[in-house]
Amino acid sequence: MAQEDSMAVPEFLSKAELLKQGAEARVYRAHFLGKPTIVKERFPKRYRHPALDEKLTHRRTVQEVRSVLRCRKAGIPAPVVYFVDYTSHCIFMEEIIGSSTVRDHIMSARQSDSCKELELERLAERMGHILAKMHDEDVIHGDLTTSNMLLRCSLENGESDLVLIDFGLSYISALPEDKGVDLYVLEKAFLSTHPNTEALFEKLLKSYTAASKKSSAVIKKLDEVRLRGRKRSMVG
Amino acid sequence: MHLTHTLELFPDHKVTQMLFKEVKNAAELRQSAVAGKISGALINPTMLLNPFQVLVAANKAVNLEKTGKMKTRSLYSEIIFNLSPTNNISEAFKRFGISDGDDSVLVVLVHNKDESQLLSDITAVVDGRQVSVEDISSLSDQTKIKKLYKITPQEEKCGTLLDAVVCRMAIKDVM
Ligand SMILES: Nc1ncnc2c1ncn2[C@@H]1O[C@H](COP(=O)(O)O)[C@@H](O)[C@H]1O
Repeated sequence: MAQEDSMAVPEFLSKAELLKQGAEARVYRAHFLGKPTIVKERFPKRYRHPALDEKLTHRRTVQEVRSVLRCRKAGIPAPVVYFVDYTSHCIFMEEIIGSSTVRDHIMSARQSDSCKELELERLAERMGHILAKMHDEDVIHGDLTTSNMLLRCSLENGESDLVLIDFGLSYISALPEDKGVDLYVLEKAFLSTHPNTEALFEKLLKSYTAASKKSSAVIKKLDEVRLRGRKRSMVG
Repeated sequence: MHLTHTLELFPDHKVTQMLFKEVKNAAELRQSAVAGKISGALINPTMLLNPFQVLVAANKAVNLEKTGKMKTRSLYSEIIFNLSPTNNISEAFKRFGISDGDDSVLVVLVHNKDESQLLSDITAVVDGRQVSVEDISSLSDQTKIKKLYKITPQEEKCGTLLDAVVCRMAIKDVM
């Protein structure tokens, strides 16, 4: 049928609320099938060859939704995927209502006068736990930061749920090295976004170590990667 | 009673759902649909949890029709196919289409005009009692649904059964 009608998604997005303009993707908020929805649109990178670009973009979209389903099947919260358009490379997913990023949460907790130390430690432990579960499923996130974890207020016990987002660079691997690098990326991001939180990050790693069945090989790799990182920075 | 939703991506497409109980002519309805005399999808409501599940299937079907990528021969068969967790077309019809002995049916229509004429066309051919589409959850066979979609107990901890089902429907082409 009419191919020209594949303009439906771009037209829809032109009226949606743009939340974030990134280097690889734009994130929008909209109403879709009657539900509050987040749309992630990967756009072409002009400097790449069009055919290669198309292939890469398609692969990232596929990887992202596959990892989301793999996580959810294992009981790791990630936004429900409602619809994927492989023509415009858009993922339509559940909006996590009333959520804030772990990044914003940590920042405001550290700025407040009242001592939130214990609460932050508890949060770091839960982060370690959820990442252990994810790695035990052989999902490598690829871009772990405190911005890619959301806190969702849960009604039952008053404690909020951690929800993982942005699996665009994720892949499946059982290699301790890949998991170690995943944690190293998070450590770098964590300590630069939240200065002087070494002790807090240690809590996260301790909880990871306790929760993951295969943690010892991963932590060993993390130590190796850290050492490599330090050597490189010493050389220059 | 019925539920009509305009697809946000395709504003000239409306999806209307009508639910009937105590249906006595399922065999006849199925034959009329096969012969193309009923332009609508006839779905076995025990496999459905919520009207949202049907909207997800219908939106995907319209999108694939527009881009020429449907896997089946018509928009209505594509809606039934999209509900299924697998890529097996005959299996999808067996599980999600109506069977001759069924006593309930969900009729799904995709249209661009006002629905009043379509509604009376459908009520004229269905020998049954129309009930509110929201009643669909009282007909759902959750055990059968969990088994068919292979929903794990862990998964139900991080969301509803509907979440789990919809996520599989949306992603099945790349699994
Ligand atoms: N499913 C979602 N629900 C709520 N907010 C989201 C969701 N996905 C992304 N966001 C917000 O949009 C920002 C950018 O998303 P991303 O580029 O995927 O990291 C995040 O930092 C969140 O604040």
